Amino acid sequence: MDDLTKDRVEQLIDCIMKKCLWQFHSRTWDRERQNENILRMTTQILCDEAFDAKTLEDKCYWVDAVCLADDYKKKFTWLLGIEKSEIKLIMQEVKNRLDYLTITGSLNEELNDPLY
Amino acid sequence: MPYHLFKCSESIPEREKHSVIKGPGEDITSALPLGYLNTIPGSLSERGCAYCGAKHVIGTPMKDVIHMSHGPIGCTYDTWQTKRYISDNDNFQLKYTFATDMKEQNIVFGAEKMLKKNILEAFKAFPTMKRMTIYQTCASALIGDDIGAIADEIMEEMPDVDIFVCNSPGFGGPSQSGGHHKINIAWMNQKVGTVEPEITSDYVINYVGEYNIQGDQEVMQDFFKRMGIQILSTFTGNGSYDDLRGMHRAQLNVLECARSAEYICNELRVRYGIPRLDIDGFGFEPLSSSLRKVAMFFGIEDRAEAIITEETARWKPELDWYKARLTHKKVCLWPGGSKLWHWANVLHEEMGIDIVSVYTKFGHQQDMEKGISRCEEGALAIDDPNELENMEAMETLEPDIILTGKRPGEVAKKVRVPYLNAHAYHNGPWKGYEGWVRFARDIYNGIYSPIHKLSLLDISKDEIPTDVGFETQRMLSDVNLSDEVKNSTILREYTGEYDCIKGLRDKIYPEYLTKKVSEAV
Repeated sequence: MDDLTKDRVEQLIDCIMKKCLWQFHSRTWDRERQNENILRMTTQILCDEAFDAKTLEDKCYWVDAVCLADDYKKKFTWLLGIEKSEIKLIMQEVKNRLDYLTITGSLNEELNDPLY
Repeated sequence: MPYHLFKCSESIPEREKHSVIKGPGEDITSALPLGYLNTIPGSLSERGCAYCGAKHVIGTPMKDVIHMSHGPIGCTYDTWQTKRYISDNDNFQLKYTFATDMKEQNIVFGAEKMLKKNILEAFKAFPTMKRMTIYQTCASALIGDDIGAIADEIMEEMPDVDIFVCNSPGFGGPSQSGGHHKINIAWMNQKVGTVEPEITSDYVINYVGEYNIQGDQEVMQDFFKRMGIQILSTFTGNGSYDDLRGMHRAQLNVLECARSAEYICNELRVRYGIPRLDIDGFGFEPLSSSLRKVAMFFGIEDRAEAIITEETARWKPELDWYKARLTHKKVCLWPGGSKLWHWANVLHEEMGIDIVSVYTKFGHQQDMEKGISRCEEGALAIDDPNELENMEAMETLEPDIILTGKRPGEVAKKVRVPYLNAHAYHNGPWKGYEGWVRFARDIYNGIYSPIHKLSLLDISKDEIPTDVGFETQRMLSDVNLSDEVKNSTILREYTGEYDCIKGLRDKIYPEYLTKKVSEAV
């Protein structure tokens, strides 16, 4: 990853970590589900791709994704000037980094407790 | 790993892994204290017990219930009235507390008969109350009284009453958090799904992890009602026992305090498919975003936007008046669990305050993940602190104010550090737009009260200045402000009512037809 991309990924990650709560559900499987769905939908919104939330669960991911995408567009205007393919690349790196911070690199010893 | 061992805790080296300093470039994969572990012997913890966590924090904010402790009277007395979880039914749950008053003879001979007698007496004394919660304590747990069996007997004899039994003795976990967990799961297992609620709106939520401290729940309820959203139940502030039995019929769980109530949300998702949306009711931006999300879930964004526009226009100039006077004030954010992450970033962004330390008495590592992520660099994060560590932190960090509970708070006052009660508030509610301004006003009043300066003088030895006249808060707070800010015609101090909740209780809300009714019309 080049320095510019790395810097941009960190900006997007910092925004999630300071403003959002959805990435900190209590168990590994919940964090995987949350990160995967919300960031996938955020990417779709940023790339102007249509999405139809059919289930209550999808709607719940979708509202967090819409708010994150709005926040991104407002705070990081460079997002508006880059190609969709580049947005997808950056968002994949955001997903990798978020998974590391909240799941694979997490020091939270309760993440793999099998019960809530 | 930037662990931090306090000098005062050098004799308890295990404490080192419970504190970290967020250094430059550090993140939560390199800086996270241990958490939710048994307190280390020798460390004088500020924690409560698991009984307290179940009864005092979560159970008793329920408003239409006789809350009875099966144990020594001290357990009940010490968990009574210290949090201001008011209700709209004349505060029954605050005015009365009930205990079986177990004594030594009950420990020897058992206390089940006495428990039954007490239950009957309580229902007789309050004949309009038909719901009861019973809380096990260490004493009744150790002798093995079968509270559930007694409750079943009573319900058979008195079919119009319903009783919930919470087996969460004081020793049932490292802290009050063990009790939060136990009562969440017990309510889910025993009561959810036992009442079919009346659905009056197309948009139905459970509002979870909200305890109506000085009216917080009623402020948020006002927003939801203005949007035409039905709050099926509130877990548990100002909440009704029977409403909480019908939680399974909501379309969405809106979760405020994840620390105390995420368990029931997770179970409702797994067992009933109700999704969980975590929100922040504190601060203009987080609250606006939260209202927007809930509205968006139901496709009624315009209703949320109308509220956000109106409330922001009304209260933002007042928030900014305080922000001008609080910028770069140093705060130790030392609450119990969730408020360290609810407040860490938004206090900095919206009031200009620098968070120099966060701590949690009973939080888990998950709370520290959130709190540390939301802090700026250099913040000291402490898990389950003891009093000496707090003193050392105050000496080294020199905060202008600390936001904490009354036990550490009163200690802070002795070393001339003002504090606000983060658990029960000072002049709350602190949720909502107006509430956030009230919080700013409380912080301002705390920091700039002339008493702190006066109290530093010891009349037995210090020279008392005679050339300085009386000083007011404004004189202290405005000394370095520009004329533009001081004389602003836009910014203003708080102008709300002394009691901002009273008016909400008689308020008439717009009626939105449900899809079913409008289709019939």
